[in-house]
Amino acid sequence: MSTLLSVRDLYVRYSLGGGLLSLVGKSPSYVDVVHGVSLDINRGETMGIVGESGSGKTTLAMALCGLAPVSNGEVFFNGEKMGQGRNNMLKPDRKRVALMFQDPVGSLNPRMTVRRALAEPFRIHKTGAKSPDKEALRLLSMVGLGDDFADRFPHQLSGGQARRVGVARALALRPDILVADEPTAGLDVSIQGEILNLLSRLQQEMGLGLLIITHNLNVVRHVADQMSIMYLGRFIEQGDSQQIFSQPRHPYTAALLSANPSPDPDAQSDPIELIGDAPSLLNRPLGCGFHTRCPRVQSQCRETFPGVTSATDRHVFNCFFPMGKPKTS
Amino acid sequence: MNLPVLNIQDLSINYQTEQGPLQALRNVNLLLPAGKIIGIVGESGCGKSTLISAIIRLLAPNARIAGGAVVFRDRDLLSLSQEQMRSLRGDQISMVFQDPMTSLNPVMTIGRQMFDVQHHGNASRAEKKARSLMMLQRVGIPDAEAQLKRYPHHLSGGMRQRVAIAMALMAEPALLIADEPTTALDATLEVQIIHRLKELQHEFGCSILFISHHLGVIAELCDEVVVMYAGEVVETGSLRDVFVNPQHPYTQKLLECDPARIMHRTRDLPVIEGSLPNLVDLPRGCIFRERCSKSLARCAVERPSLAGDHHQVACHLLDTAS
Amino acid sequence: MKPRNTFLRIFAALKKDPLGMAGFILVSLILFLTVFAAWLAPYDPFEVDVYNRLSSPSAAHWLGTDQLGRDVLSRVLFGGQVALKVSLVAISVSLSIGLVLGMLAGFGPRWLDRALVVSFDTVRSFPTIMFALAFVALTGPSLNTVIGVIIITSIPVYARVVRTQTRALRERDFILAERAMGASTGRILRDHVLPNIAAPLFILASMDVPAVVGMEAALSFLGLGVSPPTPSWGSILNDGYSYLRNSPWPIIAGGLPLIAVTLGFTFFGESLRDIFDPKLRKKDQ
Repeated sequence: MSTLLSVRDLYVRYSLGGGLLSLVGKSPSYVDVVHGVSLDINRGETMGIVGESGSGKTTLAMALCGLAPVSNGEVFFNGEKMGQGRNNMLKPDRKRVALMFQDPVGSLNPRMTVRRALAEPFRIHKTGAKSPDKEALRLLSMVGLGDDFADRFPHQLSGGQARRVGVARALALRPDILVADEPTAGLDVSIQGEILNLLSRLQQEMGLGLLIITHNLNVVRHVADQMSIMYLGRFIEQGDSQQIFSQPRHPYTAALLSANPSPDPDAQSDPIELIGDAPSLLNRPLGCGFHTRCPRVQSQCRETFPGVTSATDRHVFNCFFPMGKPKTS
Repeated sequence: MNLPVLNIQDLSINYQTEQGPLQALRNVNLLLPAGKIIGIVGESGCGKSTLISAIIRLLAPNARIAGGAVVFRDRDLLSLSQEQMRSLRGDQISMVFQDPMTSLNPVMTIGRQMFDVQHHGNASRAEKKARSLMMLQRVGIPDAEAQLKRYPHHLSGGMRQRVAIAMALMAEPALLIADEPTTALDATLEVQIIHRLKELQHEFGCSILFISHHLGVIAELCDEVVVMYAGEVVETGSLRDVFVNPQHPYTQKLLECDPARIMHRTRDLPVIEGSLPNLVDLPRGCIFRERCSKSLARCAVERPSLAGDHHQVACHLLDTAS
Repeated sequence: MKPRNTFLRIFAALKKDPLGMAGFILVSLILFLTVFAAWLAPYDPFEVDVYNRLSSPSAAHWLGTDQLGRDVLSRVLFGGQVALKVSLVAISVSLSIGLVLGMLAGFGPRWLDRALVVSFDTVRSFPTIMFALAFVALTGPSLNTVIGVIIITSIPVYARVVRTQTRALRERDFILAERAMGASTGRILRDHVLPNIAAPLFILASMDVPAVVGMEAALSFLGLGVSPPTPSWGSILNDGYSYLRNSPWPIIAGGLPLIAVTLGFTFFGESLRDIFDPKLRKKDQ
């Protein structure tokens, strides 16, 4: 059986219009927001994509759902190559690939009731469902909301409720893959658990492939089988999430994991403190993108981007001087 | 003995709504000693934002102070005129918000804004500049001289928040209120900012009221913790008391839910069942009873009040235990 | 709470907004008086009575008579019909065309957007009166000319508003979500863009009524609009202006309905805008 979703060397390049910037002559006329990314997701499996804001993770999600242009690379869905349409946007089968937006209220039409919002997927695809409104009620109960929510407007929902509606709508047509952008952003911790449990339950029931985009490592640790760490548009470490959590090899991953303050006051926290902020994509550093902040940087890092190194057969990283090995001087 | 910087006594605040008064805060007490950092923990709807707005006297127009006092050093802030309050804000009381752009003017250079905050006192331009540079360096901004000429949108989110902190501390306030200052930042930056804040607090000796829903950050930074639920303080004490030995069922649940504490991988994360009570039509008895797994008959009729010496808890279960 | 009938909701909101209510009453009154002008008018607006020229208000002629002894009240009432017809036809036609062009510009490819914006700006750059003069020179003064001029000059106004609103909506998450679900552009425009811009547009149109009525009056005043003896508020003003020294009443009678229309539609429109803004709407929880 072939992999459910397979991405090979994907680039999302935005041109900067070549306006005034190009006259200044300093900046390039394009920016690669996603820079040569590859990943595989199998049925029933969860992949977590972790990165800071501006690392390109949301753009990657948009590109996979046909909402951002793909300038290079290939995407295979069930072994079949995805076609590209206008503006190089991918053309996924909209019934099979679903997207859940970061802002649950903003992704619902403010003038539509929950009932109409949930009936939308059936109306758009004119699928077998005889009564989209009945389907809407079924979906509501699937995500644990009562019928009385059907007549509410988005602004009458709490963050957690709106998120449930988002889950229901994304899964309405029983897709094979769900791309969830920050599914717990802005939720209280007690509600985060509810949403993650719901996603896990529905994933098991439907055999869904799940791609979770997040900056919250705690989310990844509990739900992801595999994880990819993104920095400046590139994956810099990828593999089995438990292996990465127990032994991160890329210094950035190590810093990220150690920068996860524990609520236990007795926990020995010794975070690897990085210097400064991530550079902007507009002036991506030469060589390894992380060298401006890396505590282990050597001259080599400033010139060439490190190739893929295998830590184990299910864990790869891109670093010349990885963690867990004495620093060469 | 040193006067506490902030002493909130029995504060109750209602919002007028069409359905009747919404009791957003009920008999809230909070004591912030000089030089300490208190963290306020609680989820949406617990009254954190109302509490802050009451301290800085920027309450919504439909809010009514139903009772209590907010004593800053020796003055009740609730009795000050708007004029007096304005001179306190930015001088003795400063704020850092979740979104630094709230306090930065997008059309003014960083330098200009930093000089402007020093309008109290009569320093020369050169002195103001020297002080601005010093503050920027203290919060960890590289190449401070060049940053003074830049506009807020030139800076990254992390840098902007540092500038906001530098500006807030510029007047050496006695009280700094930080409302989710690291929530919009990435994990690696969050740690940097927290550590800077801790260093600066030691150096300047100000007191900090720190609001965050991120329990890990609270644990990293604060000396004492106040746990709020649905407009009431349910537990308060030292960081260790509350986080290691939580007594109120809500605090216990909240800590249990934090995925950062659950070290083993699970697909069945704990949650707090139920939802917040309606604050317009308050239930009798304990505010947390409907969601509490340990509630007693007494909890339905009698509202528990905070009890204890330093580690205070509002829960009937403790009476029964002793 | 169940979403109630829109009219009931508007009425409930108006009860709490005295200015909006005043606007609503004024608008209803104007509509009633003009629609039933044929029954309400005490005289034939064309009937000349030379012995009774320029008389002041009396029991027989509530607003007096004009230079030909015609009853001014009757002419004002019938003039209202002209004003109403012009604004109704001109606004609905220009709104519909502007809506289509604006959505095309806002949602279509970049080149189409640019081409349309340039043409909107070209039309807008002519001063309306100059444009009207040129138009009248070609077709001669008539009610249809007035309507035509107003339509052509109003289309870009509506189209620009629609374009801006569409552009803003286009990047909103719920529109992206529709695209991610595979909705066609037509469906997105019809079901998601249109309902979200309809209310503000409708309100804009209602606030435009006074402007259109004023423009008709201005064109008729200049003799570019309806031809005599058809009564129009503009021509009443024009007639009154010539005989201002003899009697101020025709000017007052022609000006009052213009003021009433302006105030009525503005207050009512502003009130509607507040009612329909979902962010200002109270949570029904």
